[in-house]
Order: sequence, then structure tokens, then C-alpha cells
Amino acid sequence: MAGPAHPEAMAPPTPGRTRAAPPQMPSTWWSAKRIRTYILFDATGIIYFLIAFLGIRLINALGAGPEAWDAAMESLKNPIYIAFHLLTLVSVIFVAVRFFRLFPKAQPPAMGPMKPPPGPIIHGMLYVVWFGITAFMTAVLAGVIL
Amino acid sequence: MVEKTIIITRFDPDRDEKPRKQEYTVPCEDSWKVLDAVNFIKDEIDATVSHRWSCRMAVCGSCGMMVNGEPKLTCKTALSDYDDRVDIEPLANFPIVRDLVVELDGFMHKFESVKPWIIRAKEQAEDKASLHPEKDTFGQSTEELGNFKQFSMCINCMLCYSACPVVANEPDFLGPAAIALGHRYNLDSRDEGAEERHDIFRGEGTVFSCSYANECSEVCPKNVDPAAAINQAKFGTVIDWAKGLVLPRGGTK
Ligand code: SF4
Ligand code: FES
Repeated sequence: MAGPAHPEAMAPPTPGRTRAAPPQMPSTWWSAKRIRTYILFDATGIIYFLIAFLGIRLINALGAGPEAWDAAMESLKNPIYIAFHLLTLVSVIFVAVRFFRLFPKAQPPAMGPMKPPPGPIIHGMLYVVWFGITAFMTAVLAGVIL
Repeated sequence: MVEKTIIITRFDPDRDEKPRKQEYTVPCEDSWKVLDAVNFIKDEIDATVSHRWSCRMAVCGSCGMMVNGEPKLTCKTALSDYDDRVDIEPLANFPIVRDLVVELDGFMHKFESVKPWIIRAKEQAEDKASLHPEKDTFGQSTEELGNFKQFSMCINCMLCYSACPVVANEPDFLGPAAIALGHRYNLDSRDEGAEERHDIFRGEGTVFSCSYANECSEVCPKNVDPAAAINQAKFGTVIDWAKGLVLPRGGTK
């Protein structure tokens, strides 16, 4: 262990009579198997941060006229961009799956006389909505509808 | 019987500047739990080692320690699950009083702050009318009990506090077990104290400090699932807030 936690973590409201050693936490916490999914989940924030920049760049190009837009679209064919977008896709799927897994148990056991449906049904409904929206968006982008 | 090296964190507040490690060679029986090895050291090798335990059957919640970096109830954790070297440390995120003994007052203070008792809105005399006429108790159906039973199974072992990354970084965070307990009373059909707990649950360092790491629930030996309680409380808070926008007297129970 032996890494420092926040020195005030779980401190008593008034100091005890004997001197206590400051709280510690495992210095290898980030590599612990149990916490790995959470660390990966948090790390995806970096990807969304980067893709926000790309979004701003594309909006700028859109405002700068058709030529700038075409050049921006052309630059997205670069293998680095393609790899980045694939990584983003994987990370979005990962975040969605983790969120869907944890979502059912965050439902209150009852709201007045109403009870939420059982966890597996909520879980299934989330996937149905997700796949439905994805299919709809794909159809729109492919020009099949709208 | 197999020999293992048990590494114990030692800290004597009168002598040590900071915690240090001490190794002991222990002849371990195959059936031993981790606590048995620590007890063996205390009884047979070094009587100065300090640790807490009581029931030896995962009920009292006092034997929580870090075993190879993971928060564990040592009376429930088989020693045979570990290699030849086992590192036993005091619970992470708690001030260390001595060796494997951590400071509990901060935890108890957080516990108390959620008012973990049944609060009735009316005065006792007035409340008599809601009592069961023969049994003189407040009735509760099995279904109503089921709404909160899981959250009432906590044994105060504090493993969830040791596992939580927010506890490690935000001293004001109420933490998993305390929020689960407060939520347990808010869900209790006999309780009318949700409004009193309103600010405790919505202020700084409360439910919205939780980043849903879910670590508390992963390590909880009693399947209390405090992460579920915290996130149900978040959900309830948002619903109350929304009700407060549309209903004249807000949305608390
Ligand atoms: S919620 Fe679970 S891990 Fe936390 S103190 Fe209670 S029993 Fe222990
Ligand atoms: S000794 Fe009581 S829970 Fe382990």
C-alpha cells in the first residue's frame, strides 16, 4: 500500500488523544483488477475531450465555406483519424454497456404505488432503445429515410 | 500445514514516525482464515501486534483489513487463496491509531449525521392513532420491508470506505455505508424523516459526490450494495427537485 490518501480522509471531528498516522491507500490502486473497469471508464473522458476539439474544428470549417468543409472531410480519411474514430466507437460502446449494467439498480424500489420493472427488463429495454436509435440514425445517414 | 510470510504494518504512535512493515514466518493450517494467521502472530510470536476482531463469523464487522491491497473481512477470507507472502495492512483511507487498528470516530460521526433512526413527524401522543390497535407497533408489510431490507444488512465493517476512490480524496464525502443507512430509513414505510434528511443528502459531499465507481458494492461482504442506495438517492433527489418545480410544497416524502 503506502501511498498517501487525503490527509483529512475519515478524520475524527475532534482529534483523538493519541497521535494517529495519516490515512494511506494502495499506491498501485490504478492497477488493481477490481478497479480497472472504473479507471478505463474514467479514461474515456480524454477521448471525448479530444473529439470535442474535432467537433469545434468541423463547425469552424462549416462556417468557412464549402472548400474548407471539403478539405476537412478529406483530412478525416487520414488513417490516424480513422483509428481515432474506431477507438471512440469502442469507448462509447464500453461506456454504454457499463452504464446499462449499473442503471437498473439505481432505480428507486417504488415510486408511490408504482414499482420499476425487474432489472433484466430495464436492461433489455435500454438495449432495445439503443439499437433502435442506432438503426434509425444509420438509416438517416445512409439516405434510406428522410 | 504450509509456511507463509505474513507482513504486518506496524505503527506505535509513541515511537514510530510513520507506519513500517514487519515480517513474520507463520506455520499456517490449510483451513485458516487470514485472521487466524494474525491471531497466531499475536498469541505465539509477538504480543505487541494490535488488531481488532470479535465474532469470527462475519457478523461484528470489526476485523476489516487490507489483504494484499484489497479490503477484506479477515475472518471470512481464506489464507489458502494467497501465495507465500501475504501483506496485511490497516484499512485504507482511515487514520491509523496503532498497527492494524484504525480511527473510527470519523466514520461514526458520518453515520450519526444521516439520523439513522425512525423519525415520526407527529408528537408521540398524536402518533398513537397510527399504531396497530392490539400490538402497539407500527405495521409493515413484507413488501414494504423488502424495499429497504438489503440496505439494513450493513455490519459497519467499513470495507466500502476503504475501497471508495471518492472517500480517499474528498474528506467531506458522507461515504457509502452512511448514505445507504440514511436511504434505508427514507425507504422505511414507518419513517417520516425524509424531509429532515433532505439537506444532509443534498448538501456538499453527499450523494452527488459519488462518481458511481461501484467499488463499495464490489467489496461489501454483506451484499448491501451501497452504490445502489447512493444512486437511488440521487434519482430520488432529482425527482424531488422536479416535483418541487411543479408542485407548490415540493416533493419530499
Ligand atoms: S455497506 Fe457493506 S462494506 Fe460498507 S460498512 Fe456496510 S457491510 Fe461493510
Ligand atoms: S471477527 Fe467479526 S466480522 Fe470478522
